[in-house]
Amino acid sequence: MSRERMSGETVGRSAAGPPLAEVQAHLYDLITAPEGAAKRLAELRRAPHDLEALVRSSGRLSAVERVDVYANMYFFRILEVLGDEFAKIVRLIGAEVFHNLITDYLLAHRPAHPSLREVGARLPAYLATHPLTEDRPWLSELARLDRLRFDLFDGPDAEALTLEAVRAMPPESLPELALRTVPCLATLATEFAIAPLWRALETPAASGHRAEVGGEGEPPPRSSGTFLVWRKDLTVFHRVLDADEIVCLPLLQAGTTFAAICDRALADAADSGVAARRAFELLARWIDDGALASAKTARPASRR
Amino acid sequence: MSTEFPALGHGIGLRPPHYAEVIEDHPPVDWFEVITENFMVAGGNPRHVLRKVRERYPVVLHGVSLSIGSVDPLDEKYLTGLVALADEIEPAWISDHLCWSSFGGHTGHDLWPLPFTEEALGHVVRRVQTVQERLRRRIIIENVSSYLEFGHSTLPEWEFLSEVARRADCGLLLDVNNVFVSAHNHGFEAARFLAGIPVERVKQIHLAGHRDEGTHLLDTHDHAVCDGVWDLYRAAVRRFGAVATIIERDDDIPPLSEVLAESRQAAAIEGEVLTALASSAEARSNVAGTHVG
Repeated sequence: MSRERMSGETVGRSAAGPPLAEVQAHLYDLITAPEGAAKRLAELRRAPHDLEALVRSSGRLSAVERVDVYANMYFFRILEVLGDEFAKIVRLIGAEVFHNLITDYLLAHRPAHPSLREVGARLPAYLATHPLTEDRPWLSELARLDRLRFDLFDGPDAEALTLEAVRAMPPESLPELALRTVPCLATLATEFAIAPLWRALETPAASGHRAEVGGEGEPPPRSSGTFLVWRKDLTVFHRVLDADEIVCLPLLQAGTTFAAICDRALADAADSGVAARRAFELLARWIDDGALASAKTARPASRR
Repeated sequence: MSTEFPALGHGIGLRPPHYAEVIEDHPPVDWFEVITENFMVAGGNPRHVLRKVRERYPVVLHGVSLSIGSVDPLDEKYLTGLVALADEIEPAWISDHLCWSSFGGHTGHDLWPLPFTEEALGHVVRRVQTVQERLRRRIIIENVSSYLEFGHSTLPEWEFLSEVARRADCGLLLDVNNVFVSAHNHGFEAARFLAGIPVERVKQIHLAGHRDEGTHLLDTHDHAVCDGVWDLYRAAVRRFGAVATIIERDDDIPPLSEVLAESRQAAAIEGEVLTALASSAEARSNVAGTHVG
């Protein structure tokens, strides 16, 4: 059957082509194939010119090359987004290795969320299972910290508890002061002391510079700890928690009272005076951090 | 003047490098278009910026993930989020692209072209209608740049787009750069595209830059608007009149002042074209009056 159709100008009433679902299935498969449309067609035991039954070829670009325009955009757009989000990992392993990591990652975890911001959500966990981290297990912890900071950057807003609000309370009601964390707060347990390396990698890299761990500081020593990661106003912070804070945090996240924090401090202290001082220190620190929600803020949902 | 699609004038796409300057200096621009998905988040800086911008300017929500042409079911969670964002921000209107970007529950984060067939047309029309019912408003749909055509298409792109608008009763976002890029890549006359689009459906215009890859043009939004696109914009203004227009820049983003200068250039071109059209109409009227007299 002849058809009259030239470059979008004149369109004849052609014989029915493949159904839309079939078109999209075939193109999606080719576009997301890790090594391009021609190789994928070969895997499917199809010749490149078979694609011309679906996609028009022209003197400038073959059907395969036209599909590869989309294949390249699919991969490189995501690579760029993840390279920005996990810039420290790129600095440590180099752009080429990161490229290959993302190739593997996209095969294991195809993007499924409408927003590009979610495309890297599972990369830290994936990295932990990747051969790259066999001799550098702290890489995935570094990625988890940056992803957590990324998550909290645009999480729910909340008004923080202020020192002024606490000072305005009658002293006798202080034990019953309701304490709970702001919703944009989470903890991250790590097996390596990654904080110094994270700080070192915050400095901008020289152009084309690939950071060797030795150049950025020694590989992080194995030393378990817990990060507190939270957002105060519009800025995300993190710091390593003290041992007694690690115990208190679940109480604060569930919602507790200052009296309960004092009881918790008493369990570790030599006497009640020491415990009270420590409880007040902790309260002042959390308030200064902006980690506690004001009484007006609704009880937060658990984030993770 | 339509209150559903008000004449917003000349704006720009709001992008992160310009956030601080926009909310602190309140630059002289008529309106902003924002990428919907960048603000479908719970809070933090993106929502803070959007609220501040909305206090002073009209805002349009421009989506990239509706995937109106996909055979996947419409993403209900996405639509719910879009309704909530629109309820809060009260955008002048909501737009997205005539494309598909998801398949089998996975997303490609790209704007993939559709075959221009009756099957695809019916599919898109039904989904636009569903989205409009969910949003309780008409949306506008944008033509995309494309790098491939399907052998079994039975309609030219402009007819397909026009039929979507007519059957679904939606508006159109005419991306002049995308027309330019696709015309080059597929060898059709850009003027034919403009001539095939119904005037009353065009509610917004996009202007942007692209890159010449030798074998094809790539819609990169990383350059200033080129002369060819400005010329096509002149033709668009002659056909569609004064339509809300923005400059899009998404990569190699220059200082805000440069993007604003391009927006002023668009306004100046629109003014010149409309003035020339008015003078021409007046002259014709005078001639006709002389003959009558």
